[in-house]
Amino acid sequence: MDQETLQKMSFETALARLEEIVGALEGGTAALDDSLALFEEGVALVRLCNGKLDSAQQRIQIVTEENGTMVEKPFDTPAG
Amino acid sequence: MDISNMRFPSPLTVTELNQYIKDLIDVNPPLSDIFIKGEISNFKAHTSGHFYFTLKDADSALKSVMFRSSAQKMEFMPENGMKVIAHGRISAFVRDGAYQLYADSMEPDGVGALYIAFEQLKRKLESEGLFAPERKKPLPKIPSVVGIVTSPTGAAVRDIINICRRRFPYAKLVLYPALVQGPDAPASVARGIAFFNETKSADVLIVGRGGGSVEDLWAFNTELVARAAAASEIPLISAVGHETDFTICDFVADRRAPTPSAAAELAVPDTAELKQKFLNIISRERAVLQRTLEGYRQRLLRSSTSRVLRSPMNTIEDRRMAVLALVQRMDPAIQRELEKKRSALASASGTLSALNPMAVLTRGFCAAFSSSGEIVKSVERIKPGDAVVIQMADGAADAVVQSVRPNENDA
Repeated sequence: MDQETLQKMSFETALARLEEIVGALEGGTAALDDSLALFEEGVALVRLCNGKLDSAQQRIQIVTEENGTMVEKPFDTPAG
Repeated sequence: MDISNMRFPSPLTVTELNQYIKDLIDVNPPLSDIFIKGEISNFKAHTSGHFYFTLKDADSALKSVMFRSSAQKMEFMPENGMKVIAHGRISAFVRDGAYQLYADSMEPDGVGALYIAFEQLKRKLESEGLFAPERKKPLPKIPSVVGIVTSPTGAAVRDIINICRRRFPYAKLVLYPALVQGPDAPASVARGIAFFNETKSADVLIVGRGGGSVEDLWAFNTELVARAAAASEIPLISAVGHETDFTICDFVADRRAPTPSAAAELAVPDTAELKQKFLNIISRERAVLQRTLEGYRQRLLRSSTSRVLRSPMNTIEDRRMAVLALVQRMDPAIQRELEKKRSALASASGTLSALNPMAVLTRGFCAAFSSSGEIVKSVERIKPGDAVVIQMADGAADAVVQSVRPNENDA
């Protein structure tokens, strides 16, 4: 998988793919070349997931009614 | 019995007096079936299962005990400061010279009607199976969006946001601002739950509010909220009040959190833990891969060190040796066979030469052959004038038949 595709992946997709890789590796069914490739991909995915976790800025929205429809707006947190 | 003029004739022992007073109390019907209201203090749940406590009001206190058999049936755990109405009987404890309440039941004071309503709704929903463990949905491991139904100004939302920020900033938080107390609260909370379900805009819901009086928390004991929570297809965490507050919403929810903060901890994973888990995955996978590689290496080693590959000439040599061994084993066998054949041949040729018809010629006999080369065995086959060849051992003579004479006795 090339870097570009990897970067576009969402955290959830990356995690799901990681779980798939873990399953394949531990199932022991993959050929050796595939195993190595899978492992490398796994390491890249973990790096990606960690990166996404590190850079995450929590978005906090509040649901409000505007002209009869419910919309989400940024919520000024009563942080404490 | 008129006791107004009665006197004890002689000094009583303390025990006698205490027993006398106990008897006086015990025969007084109103004291044996009495409701008393007061506030609990010095509450102690003994390891024996009995409850010991004092009921008090502003001016006075009453020692109380509730034995295990009754304590087990309590719907709630009494606490210091709780206002209750207790039922039981008054009697004296002779040893201590003290009278006390022997309570057999207790209800929170002031919320009697609510309390009954709570129990009734709880029984109703339970009988419908809404509390059944198999209805509970698992919470998502990694939610992208956490929906929150609570007051936008309360402590609950602040706690939830703080915990989520600390643990898992990756998730987006969406707050549905709900009224959490007062007459409009049940409908407002139910609408919030329905909103997230209709828009499918959250992976997990936290529904609740911070601590308060039983009345403050009442919205979460209403059928409206309970049914909305039960109908939620999004996994729902109920987080109402403090650890000790139980609401109907808690029973219906997929998970009950003791507080809003605890709900946030249930809703989102901890980033640090998650990263550790990733590390573990990688090291475990590395180990798996190494084992696989080691397995291949062993197989390769076994094959590459086999004799065939190490010195191919050996095998050729081996074959040659095998052929040689075979030849050696075969040789005497063949010799024996040849010898047998040879002697058989010799004896056969001896026999054969003995049978040679011409051999008799050496003993002085002759044989006559006709002109066509046939041996003449009978006078019938020749007549005078025929040419015959007379064969002897060392040569032949050509002759002409002069006459033919059959043997007389044969005629």
